[in-house]
Amino acid sequence: MNTVVDLEALKKPLLMLLAVIMIGSGTIYFTRHLLQEAAHAFDQQHQQLQAAHTRMQKSGEVKATILHYIDSYRYLQQLGFVGDEQRIDWIDGLRNTSQQMQLFGIKYQISAQQPYPYASELDPGQLALYQSVMKISLGLLHEGDLLEFLSALAKKNAGVFSVNQCLVTRADTGGSIRYQPNLNAECDLSWITVKPAAETKS
Amino acid sequence: MANKLLLSVSAKQISAARWQGNCFTTCRIFANNDSGLSAFRQYLAPISNHTVYVMVDAVGEDYRLELLPSSFGSDRTEMIGRKLKQHYRNNTYCGAWLQERDSGKRRDGRYLFCALTTPDLIEPWVQVILERKLPIAGVYLLPTIGQTLIEKLQLDQPNLLVVSLHSSGMRLTYFRNQKLRVSRLAQLDSSGQPGIKNLAEEISNTRLYLHGLRVLTLDERLTVLVIDREDALHALVQTVAHDNPNIECRRLGRAEIIERLGISTNALTSSVDALYLHLLGLHALANNLAPASVTAGYRQHRAQRAVYALAGATALGAIAWCTINILQIIYVHGKTEADARDTTRQEAQYQEITRQFPVAPAAAEDLKHAVEIAQKIGGTTRTPETMMNIVSQALELNPAIVLKTFGWKYDTTDIVGAAEGPNSPSVDKSSPSSPLAAVRHQSGLIQGEVQPFRGDYRAAIETINRFVEALSQQPEVAAVKIIRLPLNINPDLSLSGTTQNSGDGEQAGKAEFRLLVMLKQTI
Repeated sequence: MNTVVDLEALKKPLLMLLAVIMIGSGTIYFTRHLLQEAAHAFDQQHQQLQAAHTRMQKSGEVKATILHYIDSYRYLQQLGFVGDEQRIDWIDGLRNTSQQMQLFGIKYQISAQQPYPYASELDPGQLALYQSVMKISLGLLHEGDLLEFLSALAKKNAGVFSVNQCLVTRADTGGSIRYQPNLNAECDLSWITVKPAAETKS
Repeated sequence: MANKLLLSVSAKQISAARWQGNCFTTCRIFANNDSGLSAFRQYLAPISNHTVYVMVDAVGEDYRLELLPSSFGSDRTEMIGRKLKQHYRNNTYCGAWLQERDSGKRRDGRYLFCALTTPDLIEPWVQVILERKLPIAGVYLLPTIGQTLIEKLQLDQPNLLVVSLHSSGMRLTYFRNQKLRVSRLAQLDSSGQPGIKNLAEEISNTRLYLHGLRVLTLDERLTVLVIDREDALHALVQTVAHDNPNIECRRLGRAEIIERLGISTNALTSSVDALYLHLLGLHALANNLAPASVTAGYRQHRAQRAVYALAGATALGAIAWCTINILQIIYVHGKTEADARDTTRQEAQYQEITRQFPVAPAAAEDLKHAVEIAQKIGGTTRTPETMMNIVSQALELNPAIVLKTFGWKYDTTDIVGAAEGPNSPSVDKSSPSSPLAAVRHQSGLIQGEVQPFRGDYRAAIETINRFVEALSQQPEVAAVKIIRLPLNINPDLSLSGTTQNSGDGEQAGKAEFRLLVMLKQTI
């Protein structure tokens, strides 16, 4: 019996073996894929269950948190810190402070709202922090007026702001001693607002 | 393959038995002549998927026992091949197998060489089988099948002579220590039933024959086992025992054959060779005499079966693997569904609990974070007040310093870059050399001049240095950097001026300077 005859005789069983290997490996691959999908679905479902379980366990804690913080939160809402920024309130605050301190008027310029660059220092969680930088320019009798102005503006409850920088220069009075600003001050204030995650997405 | 076709070929007749499962079903007898061959061809016509095992019971046989050196693999094959050529040069039906190894250090092998010296007896039958394309597993001498018999009967007599009646005559096979040594076929008178006396004489003659071959001395005790499938040889046992006191004669009767060897009654009576055919069907023997050309179909058949078996095993493996996967999928699905139910229940319970919560404008975490952020902003807010206080204290100690511009910044970068005009000395805005870089800190810009100034730059610079020293000594100050002095003495830059005094006694020009004050990060 020569080799050609041998191979010819083995052709059918070898083809069957090949078919079995192909079908078998294909079926194994398919079922393996289904198993992986099932395992993935299980992992996701299990994570959801654990999250739900954790929520349940922390429900008492959540209630306590709400009771503890809700009043402060509502105050911050009224203040304009939480939610959309209240530029009218800020401008009213500037105007009222200027009138109260009998300043020589305040020029302001508010830039477009942008993400607050130091948000990461504040651990905001799901909240998004934004700032609008307000450049103000005002005349002062002396440097103490600037500090008094910033303190008075903060007490107006027009919003939450931080002072970024100030530049105070001596005004050219021409030697006159009449009632006029001796110093010019230019300051950058960041009016900061936060938005809950749901509002941010919308 | 369970289906076998078992053939017993003798000079008188051919017995063909079909073997299915673990027993043979039918047995047909063909005369060893042309008509028998023709009938056999017709008999084979419908048969397929059977492996053929041929057993030959002929006078023309040869047995040689040889002690050969221990060898393995191709060396052994070559050595046996040389011996077979030497003993049976023109014989195609021959073979050898290792019976046992010598207990000595050389471990020599004791080989039994055997051959069918009258191949013409089976050639026509083999040709018919090959024409039918049935695979022939092997051609065996009938005595070699007796090895299976003594193994099945668990006979341990050192000198055993198995006596059985067949179509071709009386077969006497001698086993020493349960190994086949020699066999002879005594042809009996075919005119009628052989006489007991004749049979007993053949046994006695065989004893003498063995003595003549120097295989067994007359003094040694011999056990004779008479296979009596028709229960007709009681007298033979008695006669042999009577005539030969040194012979232990035993008889294996019909009932014992059926009971101990597992052959059915019908099968046993179907042919005189039925018992050996049965034994041939039970065990595939290694001592095949057929040349490779005869068993080529069987090898091919075995290769096909092996590949089919491999395919079957692969399929079974794949099925098992898939089954495990499917069972795991079902298990995981079950767990997923259980988790989904638990999740739904937990969420429902949570919803029920949250109904008792006060109405909140945002999630609890958001409430907490918003309030904490507001508190942190309040805690991190800075005003120019600290910087102003520091500068005021330094100015009180240095009345010659007149402040013209005061700047303050709370950022990761210093104020200098922002306050400097285009003609200012080059100061890197990011201040990489500053120890406070990349951390929010307070920095101040002080721009002023020394008054009065009468052109004494040395004195003016000393005044500025004292002012700087006064600033540096404040505990809140991290560093003070002079950005510009009244006179730039940098050798890389050009310098010009005048020493002429003005009319009121002061020199033209001003002693202006610029300082950068950086507070510590904690302030």
